[in-house]
Amino acid sequence: MTNDRMLVYVSFYAALIAALGLFPLFNIPFLGGVPITAQTLGVMLAGVMLGPVRGAVAVVLFLFLVAIGAPLLAGGRGGLGIFAGPSAGFLIGWPVGAFIAGGLMRQMKERSVIVSAGVSAAIGGIGVVYLFGIPGLMLLADLSFGQAAFGSLVYIPGDLIKVALTAVIAQSVARGLPSALVSRV
Amino acid sequence: MISTYISGDSWLHRLPAGWKLIGLCIFTMVLFPVESPAIAASGFLAALALFTVVGREGYRRLLALRSVLYLLVFLLIFHVLAGTLTSGIVAVFRLMTMVVLATLVTFTTRMEDMLDALNPVLTPLNFIGISSRRIALAIALVIRFTPFLIALADELGSAFKARTGKRGGVRLTAPFAVLALRTADHVSDALAARGGADGFDNIDEVGEGNTPNDQ
Amino acid sequence: MPYLLSKNSNPTPSCEPREGVCVSNVSIARGGRIVIENLSLSLVEKRIALVGLNGSGKSTLVRALNGLISPIKGKVCIHGVDAVKSPKAAARMVGFVFQNPDHQIIFPTVAEDIAFGLRQAGISKSTTRAQAKALLREYDCEEWADRPISELSEGQKHLVCILSVLIMEPEVLVLDEPFSSLDIAVRTNLLSRLKHLRQQIILINHDLDVFDSFDRMIWLKDGRVEADGLPESITPLYRKHAMEVAGRLTPESL
Repeated sequence: MTNDRMLVYVSFYAALIAALGLFPLFNIPFLGGVPITAQTLGVMLAGVMLGPVRGAVAVVLFLFLVAIGAPLLAGGRGGLGIFAGPSAGFLIGWPVGAFIAGGLMRQMKERSVIVSAGVSAAIGGIGVVYLFGIPGLMLLADLSFGQAAFGSLVYIPGDLIKVALTAVIAQSVARGLPSALVSRV
Repeated sequence: MISTYISGDSWLHRLPAGWKLIGLCIFTMVLFPVESPAIAASGFLAALALFTVVGREGYRRLLALRSVLYLLVFLLIFHVLAGTLTSGIVAVFRLMTMVVLATLVTFTTRMEDMLDALNPVLTPLNFIGISSRRIALAIALVIRFTPFLIALADELGSAFKARTGKRGGVRLTAPFAVLALRTADHVSDALAARGGADGFDNIDEVGEGNTPNDQ
Repeated sequence: MPYLLSKNSNPTPSCEPREGVCVSNVSIARGGRIVIENLSLSLVEKRIALVGLNGSGKSTLVRALNGLISPIKGKVCIHGVDAVKSPKAAARMVGFVFQNPDHQIIFPTVAEDIAFGLRQAGISKSTTRAQAKALLREYDCEEWADRPISELSEGQKHLVCILSVLIMEPEVLVLDEPFSSLDIAVRTNLLSRLKHLRQQIILINHDLDVFDSFDRMIWLKDGRVEADGLPESITPLYRKHAMEVAGRLTPESL
């Protein structure tokens, strides 16, 4: 993969994370207004498809744009305020999650795409992201571990759907456009 | 460029972006050890008062951050259940103050100015091969292709509906991803045709090795 | 491009001839299959049409002209620049307009995209913006400068693509089916703009009417030149061939 292609791919995944948050098709309404968006699907995909470093860079690029004021977070939100809110820990966990997911995807080269993508997305996109998100809640919102963890539970069903989607998408890309599964090329 | 910036000419608009960022950092650090609800509440009121510089439009747009409010309500419930109401109130006020102030910085600073202010922080990335030119190009690509991808998803959704009469929903995510990635391949070809990410500076470079991709 | 070449310590690999485009003994493989085999062409005419059925190798050939694809053997020479050894220098000489403007336009607003090529050559932001606006003014669309690309019509996007290539003052303009999604009025308008340019033009198109005043037509078939000459003499031959093939096509060979 050339430098140009990698720059475009990284930017495309950042744009994909944004599009997933802005396009209503992918919004899963859940529990009376608690926003559950498909943006973490983009995070999982970035890691699983691009591999650890590029995947993490794509997520960082997205967050960087949000931080400097681009309204790309679900619901057209953007700006520094997002990183001051109680869920800031989750956002910080995104690039790390993408990194771990990409690394796992690479480790499981011998396994089928659908299985390794599912496992990588679950560990990176749920495990790692919550590993940052829950302490973030504890620190920013002054909650105990139990409270923060319990409060995060509402997001788990949505996240499991996204893991399944990531696995299916990785599988269809592996079939339809194998060169785009950069983590495996 | 799409952005959350609200145009205006207040003192906060004119204050250099770097100062605003540093100010925000200092304020956050001061706010963190506060334990009295009264101080936390007055901090919040002061932040809200500061918001007048962006006028009614600013307050209106602030309401778009409602989703944070839901989280805050949950948070307060947790604290009530745990019998720590006071620290709950302090936490809620602290969070709201930080969100309001950070949002204020965003509302009063152009994205370009924010980028320029961050330039010194980004320069070290040059050493690992990420030049400021690449960052600028990547940002442009994201801003350009976000609406494009949304339009693409829209088109796919209509095509699905035309053929089945149903909403595609999550079923369309996989074909959407393949379609989007195929576009990415074309875009990288076009970028290479226009000099690539590094431009025409290194015009002598032999063996660029652009992978030919099938149409 | 004196400002470009002066930056370099070692000279760009050059080749003969110094004028026009020269393709000699070129073979190109794509996806493990030989698409073009031992092709030689000397292109000096100002308006050149490239025709051929799908899969004949047209797009592959033009992508070798600006270094997007490297031939497995042979030499490609653009106005004295070796496109195989220095693809970047070739890309600088050959302006490329793709079929779908959405693949080509990189920036969110019109002026930014048009200025991009000049920025690539290391010229400052303010200068390039002024030049982009001047070019837009020349084409009576100065007010487009800050318009988002996503709000332009298809024809407008095509014009932006052409302008962002023209601002680089290339020697050769390659257009790969640029009109396929445009209505007749827009197509005619864009075509007449193209005809007035000083650049050498290589145009790939399926609709043969656009080649009226062209100087030369090259018909590619299976990666080889089937016929080469004036459009008046080639068009009927090619049309006849296309009709014959049409009668033989099965769903499998579509």
